[in-house]
Amino acid sequence: MRLIAFFAAILLASPALAQGIQQTKGDFEDKFRQLDEVLAAPNVYRNASGAPGHQYWQQKVDYRIAAELDEDDRRLSAQATITYTNNSPDMLPWIWLQLDQNIFRKDSMAELTNTFGGPGRRGPAVSAGSGDTPARLSMEELRRQQAMEDKSYGYDIDAVRAADGTPLEHTIVGTLMRIDLPAPLAPGASTQFRIEWAYNIVEENTIYARSGYEHFPDDPRPGGNDIFLFAQWFPRLVAYSDYEGWHNKEFLGRGEFTLEFGDYDVTMTVPDDHIVSSTGVLQNPAEVLTAAQRQRLAAARTADEPMFIVTPQEAAANERTGPSGEKTWRYTAQNVRDFAWATSRKFMWDAQGHRQPGAENETVMAMSFWPKEGGELWRKYSTAAVVHTMKVYSRFSFDYPYPTAQSVNGPVGGMEYPMITFNGPRTTLNDDGTRTYSESEKIFLIGVVIHEIGHIYFPMTVNSDERQWTWMDEGINSFLDSVAGYEWDPDIQWTRSLPRDLIPYMTSNEQVPIMTQSDSVLNLGPNAYGKPSAAYHILRDTIIGRERFDFALKEYARRWKFKRPTPTDFFRTMEEASGTDLDWFWRGWFYTTDHVDISLDSIYRLRLDTQDPDIDLSRRRQELADEPGKVGVRLNREQNLPIWVLENPGITDFYDDNDQFTVTPKDRKKYTDFLDGLEPWERQVFDRALKEDSNYYVLNFSNKGGLVMPIILGLTFENGSTEKMMIPAEIWRRDAREVSKLLVFPKDKRLQSVVVDPDWETADANIENNHYPRRIIESRIEAFKSPDPTSRSGRDLMAETQGSQE
Amino acid sequence: MTRLFALLAALLLTIPVAVAAHQQKITISTVSHNARTGMLEVVHRVPLHDAEHVLRARGVRAPDIIDDLESRRAFARYVAERFELATEKGAFELILLGTEIEGATLIVLQEAPSPGPAAELTVRSQILTDVWSRQENRVNLGSGTEVETLIFRAGDDFKPARLPG
Repeated sequence: MRLIAFFAAILLASPALAQGIQQTKGDFEDKFRQLDEVLAAPNVYRNASGAPGHQYWQQKVDYRIAAELDEDDRRLSAQATITYTNNSPDMLPWIWLQLDQNIFRKDSMAELTNTFGGPGRRGPAVSAGSGDTPARLSMEELRRQQAMEDKSYGYDIDAVRAADGTPLEHTIVGTLMRIDLPAPLAPGASTQFRIEWAYNIVEENTIYARSGYEHFPDDPRPGGNDIFLFAQWFPRLVAYSDYEGWHNKEFLGRGEFTLEFGDYDVTMTVPDDHIVSSTGVLQNPAEVLTAAQRQRLAAARTADEPMFIVTPQEAAANERTGPSGEKTWRYTAQNVRDFAWATSRKFMWDAQGHRQPGAENETVMAMSFWPKEGGELWRKYSTAAVVHTMKVYSRFSFDYPYPTAQSVNGPVGGMEYPMITFNGPRTTLNDDGTRTYSESEKIFLIGVVIHEIGHIYFPMTVNSDERQWTWMDEGINSFLDSVAGYEWDPDIQWTRSLPRDLIPYMTSNEQVPIMTQSDSVLNLGPNAYGKPSAAYHILRDTIIGRERFDFALKEYARRWKFKRPTPTDFFRTMEEASGTDLDWFWRGWFYTTDHVDISLDSIYRLRLDTQDPDIDLSRRRQELADEPGKVGVRLNREQNLPIWVLENPGITDFYDDNDQFTVTPKDRKKYTDFLDGLEPWERQVFDRALKEDSNYYVLNFSNKGGLVMPIILGLTFENGSTEKMMIPAEIWRRDAREVSKLLVFPKDKRLQSVVVDPDWETADANIENNHYPRRIIESRIEAFKSPDPTSRSGRDLMAETQGSQE
Repeated sequence: MTRLFALLAALLLTIPVAVAAHQQKITISTVSHNARTGMLEVVHRVPLHDAEHVLRARGVRAPDIIDDLESRRAFARYVAERFELATEKGAFELILLGTEIEGATLIVLQEAPSPGPAAELTVRSQILTDVWSRQENRVNLGSGTEVETLIFRAGDDFKPARLPG
């Protein structure tokens, strides 16, 4: 696995080799080589500036689904009428569907290739045996094994029929299913077919999934209660795109989804004491809500703070009693790429209208659904965070594009779908019956709600291909969630996605480039979330500047709203809209595993010679006098060794009275000749330079990390003043290893010290070599132990040897 | 073994295991020789929220790493237990200096007299691998730009490394 990932990385990182262009002599590396040969070729569907081409197309899929939950058996049965519209220029003889639930079959590719104790494994802890250590299974792994034995999971596909009822040939390949059409589907034509299916719902905590049920055995109702989260719960169309045709990539668990937009009309039949939260807008409130609840929902549209629709008291009553029958909820959604829902009798529900004047959806209902386990944490912060997210993200992209935005608490830590997100953080039950939460649980809740609601912009609306490129949506979303976090409360420590946070990861020598397929990435967090986010912070605040970066990001969002961008489209749009050649930046940050370490190796001060021997030679004399005396001569003196000239004072000549710096007539003649030989303009330049007598400095830099970056200099002068200057990254274009730069300052400004990247903007790995003259940089531990520690928060000195606390 | 079962069972009852965004499931430890002080310095970086989950797994009912020093110290001791260094002469005794919070990261610091640059060590990092099978721990040997990385997953044995100067 690692070998393959590494090999793929080499292929991606050496496009020039793949293109047959090689540096066959010397070791010059063009870090600024343009990316054209690496990026996809522009065409009529995606143009060379990164925008949708003039013949851009995408498929459309509309679903009408009726689903029924059997709560006691924890089984979902459903039937769908699917209308598929072929907007491509191609004839399609068949249609592929994604059967994501099949990942839970015992014979699924994900299950069969799940390495024991190996990398990237989803599921409970196990440890492989090694040396003298036996392999170990945890209780959860045993429970998972038992659950997989006890029930069969995956889709039971009961029928696949054409609109007229005739059975359609279909072939199941793992998590994919091909339906053969009676006749090829022509460009511009639509086809309709019906599928009936059912599946056993997995217990999320047991099987480890992105959805499923969570059981609460201690609830007052006999037998307890459940929360059900439904995602990847229906056969979803495989994307068919201009750049890959059918996306036949098996669902292995990590690479998320590649999907088509369409309209949904869904009914869910559930026990009549359940509350359903779903993608879309509720169409039959009169049938499923009480009159009081409907009134509250109407009032919440104009409320300034979240209002309860289902109160804690109503939820508590539902939790105690059982259902008396069933109810059918109906939700519809337009132009969404997916559909998810949640249902439980445990849910309380609050809502607040978020207003966007002039937008297509002028009022968006921000709503949260949570059980009592969510407690005050959810009441105070969930819906508030939903509203905050829309305010910030819309500024960077477009108005929130849907009528609802929901946050639902369940067993899933954090996962996003159109208009609905699942978020895990909760309160802790104390012995006295109260519920409390830690500060980091609070930060986690607010952070995860912002992040997941943010995903409704990227990738639910800007529909990037998650199965291939996790970083495309996670990178932008981690960047924006940190922006939104600092606008929530700048004093809270939100993030690990600033450049300085990524240094330990970026210096490690075992990593893969960001441009790695999702299922092959090592350390997805820093690779696909943190590193691209750090890259965007650098682009925004250091390289491009806020105004042009924000303009370009907004343009990317605008161009690809409700469309499917690729990495190439993103790279090109950001370049074109910002007016900045960023090929070197994408190449270094996204296509290689280099890190940043620029060293300021030396500084030479230069002074212009006047050519006037009376001035220059006396300067030379002084320079010699300033050199340290010869050690041997000093030792001779200390030994009182006799010196010939001292012992023979009577014998002297011209050379005893004049040193090598004595000005001779010949020197003066040479000076006059020099002045006479100057052209008038040369004389002018020379005189002015002499008069100004500026300070000239040559700074010598080396690039130890490999990544080319701007050289940001903090300059301190002897007169106490400071300056910051930035040398663009292009200084490295002829030599990416060593460069020199001449700086000129007026006579009265003499440099005292220089520091590279004084504000830690660029993720520079080694601070020690940033300073000239060098200074001692305390190690993290020295700083920690120093009696006057730096302002780092939360220092706690323990000084324990291992075992001293037993 | 029984203890492991008990701890993990406790974990199971109380925490939902997050499967998507925000769970980092990575720690990065740096092991370096400080030529100025002659000490071997070990700095661990652990996502705060992951740390609280571990404490819950170990029976702390309401862990609060930021504000509750006892929770934090309990976690620092857990990290110290799960990170091992050895030389030819045997296990390396590290002093647990303490902790700091930086962003959403808990920093745990340890040190010991250094065996010197180029010393042959063996290293093992099993921090959090008893909680999540996806846990991947990085150990960077050296500081600054010249770093040798070892990656550890659940069950991995000691790995040899040379301490850079």
